[in-house]
Amino acid sequence: MLRVIAALTVGAILAMGASVAIVNVATSTPEPPDKPLYNYGGR
Amino acid sequence: MDHAGGARAGVDDVAVRVGGAPRVNLVRHVSCDDALRVLPERRSTIRAPRVPVGLPAALRDRGVLSRFAPALTGLFLGALVLGPALGPGFVLRYDMVFVPDPPLWTAGSGLPRAVPSDFVVALLSLVVPPQVVQKLVLLAIFVLAAAGAAALVPSRRTVPRLAAAVCYVWSAYLAQRLLLGHWALLLGYAGLPFVVLAAHRLGEARAGAFPGRVARLALALVPAAVGGFQAMLVSALVLVAVTRTRRGLLAAVAVSGALSLPWLIPALAADAAADPAGVDAFAARADGPFGTAGSLLTLGGAWNAEAAVPGQGLLWSASVRLVVAVVGIWGFLRAARGPAKVWGPRLAVAAAVGYGIALAGATPFGAAVLKGLGVFWTGFGPLRDGQVYVAPLALVVAVGFAVVVGGLARRDAAGRIAGAVGILAPILALPTLAWGASGSLRAVDYPADWRRVQAIVAADPAPGRVLVLPWNAYRAFGWNGGRVVLDPAVKLFGREVVWNDTLVVEAAGGEIAVAAENPRVRRLTEAVTGSDAPLEAVFRAEGVRYVLVEVEAADRAKADNCTLNGSRYRCRFPEADIVYTGPDLLLLRLDRSE
Repeated sequence: MLRVIAALTVGAILAMGASVAIVNVATSTPEPPDKPLYNYGGR
Repeated sequence: MDHAGGARAGVDDVAVRVGGAPRVNLVRHVSCDDALRVLPERRSTIRAPRVPVGLPAALRDRGVLSRFAPALTGLFLGALVLGPALGPGFVLRYDMVFVPDPPLWTAGSGLPRAVPSDFVVALLSLVVPPQVVQKLVLLAIFVLAAAGAAALVPSRRTVPRLAAAVCYVWSAYLAQRLLLGHWALLLGYAGLPFVVLAAHRLGEARAGAFPGRVARLALALVPAAVGGFQAMLVSALVLVAVTRTRRGLLAAVAVSGALSLPWLIPALAADAAADPAGVDAFAARADGPFGTAGSLLTLGGAWNAEAAVPGQGLLWSASVRLVVAVVGIWGFLRAARGPAKVWGPRLAVAAAVGYGIALAGATPFGAAVLKGLGVFWTGFGPLRDGQVYVAPLALVVAVGFAVVVGGLARRDAAGRIAGAVGILAPILALPTLAWGASGSLRAVDYPADWRRVQAIVAADPAPGRVLVLPWNAYRAFGWNGGRVVLDPAVKLFGREVVWNDTLVVEAAGGEIAVAAENPRVRRLTEAVTGSDAPLEAVFRAEGVRYVLVEVEAADRAKADNCTLNGSRYRCRFPEADIVYTGPDLLLLRLDRSE
């Protein structure tokens, strides 16, 4: 029983963290670069 | 396993008996492989797998389902990751450039970066539309990678094989390289597990079986060979480490050398130079809270901050990925002392060397060494983007993580939950990779101007190069959602294209300009950017017939003489004929004889 609870707890924590990460990313909308020329990238 | 448990067993469990008496505690929760290895003479005692009903006959054998489960999982995950990229049109992002009607052959100078991958794409495009070719290639990466990682797990149980497949496919490495458009490298990544298997078998082949094993190695290297130089170099790292005997090593070097000829010959013949600044520009970087070393350990750390999966740097994601990596390495080291003891330690060495190369560029001493090597010989240039060589570590982590998950996934309620959590953990650590990495990948169609210009140039039998302006390599077109991409004009024509391959990277200390590899570009940059003088004479002398100008939004609004046709570059070619002008492109012809 203890192993079941432990496995469920780990799964729930992972699912919760993933949900927060998705919401976090979905609510931020970074502006795309508005110019035809662009650098290869940034470090 | 207890005997009662054996009686309830499905495909994964076996009843092991010795001399008619049950040997309790001999092996607990063993896989078919493990059991066969323990007692090969008792194969007849393996219980038949339970057969699910309601499926087509070919699929009613759970062995068949289990066998193809990793590949099907890879296909599903590929569809999940690519999402909007599988719609109509082309996916254009960084170095991933597919064009309509790709030419079979284009002359080029500098180092051959898309050889033979572009040729293979053009060849396939003769029978399948290039948009479809791109999607099939991208999906194939996921399917191959998943199936390969699962094949390396020293167990036939479905749960650990699925864990390996998911862990290898849903990794920061694959994600970042996909967002950098390095699909050709990812072909090598996908084929890497098969290279390990083939190299291992090559080392233990008897004389009669040796030619067949060499052929299988060549087959395993095909994805990397199609990918080109980066994919082959990563594969070579693993190949050299895993192949055991001297005869096997010689054969491996010969096969990989032969498959490398398409890019090796032009690379050795090219008059190209590798700018040492590239080491600073493309060194691995920290993309999370654990520094560069930690980022590489979590299979991230690619140089470009804009190629990170949204949310990848969050403490949550980085922490879970670090736990997966550490658990995976621990599990692999355990397996390397047991069922994978022949090839495991050798793959671990390849992973350690790859990790060392990746980390080297981020340290002052390592960077100095890499710069020195690059100056000594251009052939060391590929070492500057060191994160590429973390691929063997990704394989180690995936296999090791699968071994641990397999150990936890017993056939009770807790074991099933643990198995499911283990399989899903890599996805939950980086959930924003789904759906085109949260919108970072999306298929778009080229505006009509592009196809018209391509057709005009293709219809002209007169020889001559095509010059592409503005004088920069990368674009962020509005019609491509502002996603940065290598100028598609570079691959649009069956003629040599003159373009500026100087790479500009923004860094904390200011811009880093990695000088062009193409010697012609190094010569012409001063003429293009040094003044506003007309350029016709300069480019006629270079054999340029067409000038393709991609019209900038800022210039469209202007109405002076120089921007009459939508581009400031019109003034630089005052006597050139206007062949085509549209909202996005302006095509000029320098040669007025026709």
